Amino acid sequence: MIACARLPHLALPAAIRQDPSLRGQPLVLGESPLGTVTAASEEARRRGVVPGMAIKHAEQCCPEAIVQPVDETGTARIRTLLLSTLYSLTPEVMAGDDGHAFLDLRGLRLRWPDRQALARELDHRVEAALSARAAVGIAGTIFASRLAADRALPGAPRIVEDAAAFLEPLPIECLPLDEDQRGYLDLLGLRTLGDLRRVPRVAFRRQFGVKAIGLHDLAWGIDARAVPTWRPPSRIEESAPLEPPLENTEALQFVVRSLIDRVAESLKAGGLGAREIVIRLDLDGAPRLRESVRYAYPLTTGADLFERIRGRLKRLQPPAPVERVTLGVRQVEPAYVRQPGLLLRRDGLQETLADAIGRLQEEVRPELIQRVTIDATAPPVSDCRVRFAAVTGGDRRG
Amino acid sequence: MPDPLQQALNVLETRFGSAAPRPAAPSAAVRSSGIPELDELTGVGGFAVGRLCLLAGAAGSGKRTIAQRHVALASQEGPAVYVDFRARLDAEFLARLGACLERLLVVRPRTIGEGMEAARVLARAGAGCVCLDFPPQEAALEAELPHLLRRAQDAECTLLLVHDAEVEDVIRYYASLILRVERRGFTFHPDGDLAGIEVEAMVLKNRLAPPGKRARWVLDYPRERFPGAPE
Repeated sequence: MIACARLPHLALPAAIRQDPSLRGQPLVLGESPLGTVTAASEEARRRGVVPGMAIKHAEQCCPEAIVQPVDETGTARIRTLLLSTLYSLTPEVMAGDDGHAFLDLRGLRLRWPDRQALARELDHRVEAALSARAAVGIAGTIFASRLAADRALPGAPRIVEDAAAFLEPLPIECLPLDEDQRGYLDLLGLRTLGDLRRVPRVAFRRQFGVKAIGLHDLAWGIDARAVPTWRPPSRIEESAPLEPPLENTEALQFVVRSLIDRVAESLKAGGLGAREIVIRLDLDGAPRLRESVRYAYPLTTGADLFERIRGRLKRLQPPAPVERVTLGVRQVEPAYVRQPGLLLRRDGLQETLADAIGRLQEEVRPELIQRVTIDATAPPVSDCRVRFAAVTGGDRRG
Repeated sequence: MPDPLQQALNVLETRFGSAAPRPAAPSAAVRSSGIPELDELTGVGGFAVGRLCLLAGAAGSGKRTIAQRHVALASQEGPAVYVDFRARLDAEFLARLGACLERLLVVRPRTIGEGMEAARVLARAGAGCVCLDFPPQEAALEAELPHLLRRAQDAECTLLLVHDAEVEDVIRYYASLILRVERRGFTFHPDGDLAGIEVEAMVLKNRLAPPGKRARWVLDYPRERFPGAPE
């Protein structure tokens, strides 16, 4: 059996998590003022705001609405949190789109023989972690469980025992159809999955081709689509106490090199590459020093990783002896992203301009990349009117 | 290329495959230099994307003005980078040329290596145009240019190098277009203000069109308008 947990608007819990005072307020998420509504809170929806509506229209419907842009990073964090919460029940977790997540319940049969109790536990854990309630659907396949979750209400799980009977009256739009298929099915007068099931499989294949035969199977509740299993982001950190505390930078480099090799081993074991490594130096009688080293590519080998760290360590002048060194991998990515270079002439990785500027400023110095502004109100002398200033965080996206 | 000729070439290619005649220069995407006369002079309509274009000439010949015109135009389309090793960038002039200064990144390196690394990283990250304003006869250029060129090719970025002296062999080899710029005179407004310079440019090398062409035109200096000043 497969359970599907649905949290339709992940951007909403993300916004409320960022600013808890928004709870209970009519919150509208979307690009203001010319864009459309991406998500709306229950309070806003009660006043007629629906996703897809123009922001201006939404403001007319609900003048007291709080309009905010979607926090993509926060939404991604909530999605990871939802999947991590489900992962605490079983490692067989699959990520779906539109706020859907799936669990394979086969391994939970002994611990949770009662599916109602399992659905309640799922709901309880999601609410505890995200402060939002999920709609839960349980059925034999991913397709059916998703449809069940779409038709379930938060707090009232829908458990489908007979998939064929559940799917029979559902509209044909539930299937992943393209425009042509939808038009053709409509032309044939097939409106529900039950109608579709009554078409013999051979006849359906003759009309729609081999590639579309999966649609017929889905209508029967047979879902052979493979969904990759989600794995939680791995945390890679290595630390070494220094006794006695070190003052010599050369010796510190030696210790960091050995730590980097351990980090590289962990990365290699997971097929991962590091995009950012944070060095923390605990000092004897002084505040902790923290330095971040970013890479253009996800790197795996110790030598590659250490090359940039060495330069940074040389520049770092600890004001007191170092008691402990800790290396933590902040951004982990699959190491294979460079492989398309074999086929595409360049590697598949694209560093954004903002990241590139940030990395250059970290590695060389902030003043390397500057922006120029002209103050039209200043006296007409170049030194007064033209101002060069280092590009700052919010200014990097040119 | 006229259609009948193209059709004939297609027929020959169908019959003879790789042995069929083909254009001597590969087709390349170009970006306008911002100066119509110069676009015509290059033979392909501007500076080729992913290639190195060199503006050479003595001090005061107008090559930096040409480069800044192109940077101003490029900044209107996307991020542009000016590697200003000698702090000679005239931001007010750029603004008067219509440059979008919010999209202009000025790199102020202390060494050639720093400047080339920044150019390489920013070209790769999506800058549409990189203008290098370096001192002449720098040995570090020789080592860094191939890497930068490769990045520019991959990222479809226009590379401009402003050079104050005679062209060295190394740069001559890597450059796809070499323009020698000379100043022929000044032009003035009726009130006596400097209106521009008359320049003559010669194509010393061109990998995409026949070299050796010459052209002469006037590079106007856009005037600054102070609030309340008469038109």
